[in-house]
Amino acid sequence: MERTASEPLLTCQGVDKYFGALAAVRDMTFDVFPGEALGIGGPNGAVKTTLFDVISGLNPATAGSITFDGRTITRATPDRTCQLGMARTFQLNAGFDTLSARENTLIAAYFGRHNRLVPGMRFDRETQRLADEAMEFVGLDEVAHEATQTLPVYHRKLLMVAGALATQPKMLLMDEPVGGLNPQEIDDVMALVRRLKERGLTIMLIEHVMRFLVRLSDRVLIMHHGEKIFEGSASGLVYDKTVVDVYLGEGSSRRLRHLLEDQPSSDEGASGAP
Amino acid sequence: MFETGPNWRRDVAFGAVLIAVLIAIPFLGPSRYFIGQLTLFFIWATVVSQWNLVFGVAGIFSLAQMAIFAFGGFATGMMGLYLGISLWFTLVLAGVGSILFSIIIGLACLRLRGPYVALLTLAIAQVMYLLIITDTACFYMEGVTCRNFTGGTRGLAKFGDFGFRELLGRREYLKGDYYLSLFLLVLATVFSFAIIRSPLGFAFRALRDNPEYGVSRGLSRFKYQLLVFAMSAFFTGLAGGVFAGHFRVIGANVLSLPLLLFLISMMVVGGLGRAWGPILGAALVMLADEGMKDFVEIRNMGYGALIVAIVVLLPQGAAGGLEQVWDWGRRQVLALRGGADRPAAGRAGEGRRE
Repeated sequence: MERTASEPLLTCQGVDKYFGALAAVRDMTFDVFPGEALGIGGPNGAVKTTLFDVISGLNPATAGSITFDGRTITRATPDRTCQLGMARTFQLNAGFDTLSARENTLIAAYFGRHNRLVPGMRFDRETQRLADEAMEFVGLDEVAHEATQTLPVYHRKLLMVAGALATQPKMLLMDEPVGGLNPQEIDDVMALVRRLKERGLTIMLIEHVMRFLVRLSDRVLIMHHGEKIFEGSASGLVYDKTVVDVYLGEGSSRRLRHLLEDQPSSDEGASGAP
Repeated sequence: MFETGPNWRRDVAFGAVLIAVLIAIPFLGPSRYFIGQLTLFFIWATVVSQWNLVFGVAGIFSLAQMAIFAFGGFATGMMGLYLGISLWFTLVLAGVGSILFSIIIGLACLRLRGPYVALLTLAIAQVMYLLIITDTACFYMEGVTCRNFTGGTRGLAKFGDFGFRELLGRREYLKGDYYLSLFLLVLATVFSFAIIRSPLGFAFRALRDNPEYGVSRGLSRFKYQLLVFAMSAFFTGLAGGVFAGHFRVIGANVLSLPLLLFLISMMVVGGLGRAWGPILGAALVMLADEGMKDFVEIRNMGYGALIVAIVVLLPQGAAGGLEQVWDWGRRQVLALRGGADRPAAGRAGEGRRE
């Protein structure tokens, strides 16, 4: 089952998504390779989240094909794609509100790893271990028994990551992981994403905050009106005329350029950047 | 708040005491009325305990429970009457049939959300009601009397009972029905406890809280919605059959709106989605109903006042309120024991990190 690095983990081939006559996603073709982080950016309404819905099966593609880990998942339901190893976090604070944080993660660990034809009478040891590990990895073990609805936004974001991790994914789709967080929390999430990459997880992430996007992603894909307008390295992004015109503007592309030149690999003092 | 606590010893102990008391009651020489009311209580509590799985735990606003109950009752009675087989046998067949009936309702509700499920399921129950009371065609003749297939407005009768009359005699037969329905309630309650506390119960609650997030964590809405409809149907259908056998008649009135509201209020008073809710709620509502029997003019008002009081003062229901009292008492006891080094209930993670 071991795959070589040259073989993509996820392949989207000519993916279209129509809502009636409206084309939301048009002819998206790209690969995501094992172990890399692909950042997805673009202005509001670029249907980045819809692309995630299409890939994860929440809102299946109208045309084209999606292959994940050697299987075609174009028409797969979201519970199936999750069990195949594709875990997702949401832009809004999704969670099982009336359950405790740990129970949220337990459910993900139990049902998210493989299909339970006949669920058992209790959460087995392995499930408990995976859930506790995931909670500890994101740093939520101290609030494990709190009700999810009482957790602050930051903890709820982390809880989504814990739930995703507990399903033992090969790939993580993160939708605006730092939206609504303060600079300190943003840095903490950035550190968390780095640790996820170190674990060998393949990551696709949507982000508005450009400094976050370019510094976490190995490659960047910029969308506009449902189409890909750029795909390539983060450093190439600031020189691309279409991206600068459509999305970044002169000012922020200059600032980003400085950011990339000043700190090519480390991220000390990043919180001061725009 | 959470049903997962290490409270199963308490629940087992409480349940055992309750069962022992209920087994003993008929030996204490109660009135026939009392025995009859308790029998009815067991039947309603059984239905509510299963309805609670769909409505409270899975959060699907299905009002089909009495339709399933009626299905079980009529299936038991009709098979007994037309096939001439023992009600014990038709009861089990009716229970299995109820599962299929419920799955069909679940399928019909699959694409609906929230109040639309309530509308559709209520419509199903009302259609059944109308089909029964407008059934005037002669299915067979009994002498010169015309009998309808469903029993029509008169209700279906003459299908016999569970044989306790022959076994125990006319004076004692009520005790047979009493123990049968108690047994049914115990089975149904153990079943619902097991579901609520198992991963399956968490799957139901997860999909109730957030269906989109639930499917993204590996939960198939299709599978678990059908499963909860199927699982809640068996004991409901059996309860319908026991009801029919107990009264030796079953009619369209079990599908009436007042009865439906009576049972819904049991669920609300007891606490939606809570394991002990159905039994507590059924007991409280039946007690309140009993207490107001002599004051017909204020009965409906008093009954409404009880529901308002519970919804306002105890939004978690009686079971939720008791749970809070229990947790509070537990903390006090732990504190008295000088258990400063012991983490309080539900906070087992505290103090593990420096």
